[in-house]
Amino acid sequence: MSPQQLRPSMDPGNLPGMPRPTTEPWRIPNPSRRLKVTLASVLPMLVAVALTFGFKIDPAVGLILVFLPLQIIASVWAGRNIYGRKGQDDALLVIFTIFFSAFVGVLLVSVIWSVVEAGFKALSWQYLTQNNVYITATTSLQYGGVAHAVLGTLMIVGLTTLITVPLGIMVAVYLTETREKPRNAVRTLVQAMSGLPSVVSGLFVYSALIVGLGLRYGGWLGSIALIPLMLPTVTRVAEEALRLVPQELRNGALALGAPAYRAFLQVTMPAAKSGLITALILGIARVIGETAPLLLTVNYANNTVWNIGDPMASLPTYLFQYIGNNYDTSLQRAWGAALVVLILVAILFTAARLVSRGKKARKA
Amino acid sequence: MSDAPINAPAGGQTGSVPAKRKLSTKPHSKADRVFYGLARGASIGAIVLVALILVFLLIRSGATFGQQGIGFITGNVWNGSVNPPVLQIGPMLWGSILIAIIGVIFAVPMSIATAYFIEFMANKRVAKVATVIVDLLAAIPSIVIGLWGLIIFTPVAAHWAELLNKGLGFIPIFGNSTGNFVGSPFIAGWIVAVMIVPIITSVTREIFSQMDRDIINAALALGGSKSTSFFKVILPTGSGGIVGGVLLGLGRALGETVAIYFVLNLSFDINWGQVLENRGGSVASIILSKFGEATTQEISGLMAAGLVLFVITLVVNWVAAWIVNLAQPWRR
Repeated sequence: MSPQQLRPSMDPGNLPGMPRPTTEPWRIPNPSRRLKVTLASVLPMLVAVALTFGFKIDPAVGLILVFLPLQIIASVWAGRNIYGRKGQDDALLVIFTIFFSAFVGVLLVSVIWSVVEAGFKALSWQYLTQNNVYITATTSLQYGGVAHAVLGTLMIVGLTTLITVPLGIMVAVYLTETREKPRNAVRTLVQAMSGLPSVVSGLFVYSALIVGLGLRYGGWLGSIALIPLMLPTVTRVAEEALRLVPQELRNGALALGAPAYRAFLQVTMPAAKSGLITALILGIARVIGETAPLLLTVNYANNTVWNIGDPMASLPTYLFQYIGNNYDTSLQRAWGAALVVLILVAILFTAARLVSRGKKARKA
Repeated sequence: MSDAPINAPAGGQTGSVPAKRKLSTKPHSKADRVFYGLARGASIGAIVLVALILVFLLIRSGATFGQQGIGFITGNVWNGSVNPPVLQIGPMLWGSILIAIIGVIFAVPMSIATAYFIEFMANKRVAKVATVIVDLLAAIPSIVIGLWGLIIFTPVAAHWAELLNKGLGFIPIFGNSTGNFVGSPFIAGWIVAVMIVPIITSVTREIFSQMDRDIINAALALGGSKSTSFFKVILPTGSGGIVGGVLLGLGRALGETVAIYFVLNLSFDINWGQVLENRGGSVASIILSKFGEATTQEISGLMAAGLVLFVITLVVNWVAAWIVNLAQPWRR
């Protein structure tokens, strides 16, 4: 570990009237120190790999019971040798931080990699453009696809977005632009909504509208079930965005004689535009993969359905349908659909990052 | 603004001073009233939505609560075919809590370590990439995690469980009399951990990055090492926010449905703590698996289960929001 570098402002060389030191003592190469650090980072791994494969120890056991103790001993030795007792504790901190972070990295990369790797095998033009009619769990992957599910997801989530985004932004307006008393209560309740388990939201619609009113399954009921899940995200992000607009801008518009609604529409909202778009995108990303509410309210369909009042397919329910079967072809279909979902989410996130980056660039 | 009398406009009738104009903060033009009315209406709509869900759940589940009494959350029988039906969700409720606890135990050290790594150890470029990956993972739908958990992770984790059982089987919680390591709360806990690590990490990272660097530098200047500054300064200062983040993750873990539905073997045979055995419970997943062929009374029971879950999640989330707010005074 190299000693922490000084900030430029604290570097004596930058102080006026001080001669710049000819050497930087913390940069003097120290061969013995470097050797110890290298040994401590390489040796345990080599020994552990050799032991694990030499004695045919299980890799998981080798990692925890051979590599980790060896690495701890080596790092503590190096730290102690170089920095004294202080270095010993630091070495432990570094080892555990890197070990846990690497573990998280492996898990997360494993999720993404397995979806991409298995998903690409299923992906083809026909998979993206055909629907699921006449397809069974064992049908070859040359037939059928997810187009109907993509369409269903777009329609269901689109309707939810149409309802929720204006609603959420107006709630955010209420929270930031007015000075009414119940604001805190509204904020707390909307945040409470974010704790609503998605299956309960679906169950609510199922039991109120399908069992209670006798409506039949349909895409629009799924849209309704998604509203309480999307609203908290949209409201929270939109509120943050509106709050970032300086109060002076609003006051300026009002002082020029603009009525409050025009001050909002022509000054505050354009200033917060990128934040509001981010609210929209994050809201969509929140609900696009929701499965349980759709299972309870939309049901399945194998054909392409254009009427949102009918039962229809969606990507998450398509996935759900095919995970359940234990056939290779059916699982491949599931991986393909998972990849499509992941790509949609990634597109949304890239869009959100681009939008928010544009905002920062303009500010600077 | 002052209440000074306003003089008559120039050119007006002399001598008559107009009445004091009333100053008010209320919107006075019609369009503004509509604008604020819309905002208020949206807020009322949001409140009504929450209230509607709560009231509806309460009414529909009332029958079950009345019929089953306290046994609803303590008993372990679910039988909708007898009359009156016996509907009890004890094992599911305990299973949800057990899985959430296991998930949090796995997730907390990993998340704090990752946040510390991103914020204090990695160079800028690595930190940026890691942040993006963590944020993206927070958005991966749970059904995708469920697919990964079922196909890729379950065999690996079952192997770990077997090793744990072999090595530490004499400790009761690692015991397994069935020899079947698939579908256990241990695996479900790992799946939940994978889902909440990004949440806890991003909250913790946020707390770390907002932390006053001066107190950390002061600790180092006083001769503290990196480890003492972490354990004695960074952790205590950020503890409120971290606890809040953990509770947020706990809330998510409790409500998790489809991923657990795939990796866990749901069983009404209560599993108090033998985390490696292949039976467990989850309220959200039992709703998903039962609603299809449920009778009207069973649906009422499922509503009651949903209500119990909602209330628990609500309490956890409120406590979380409260703690995070306390810990982040700069956000107010």
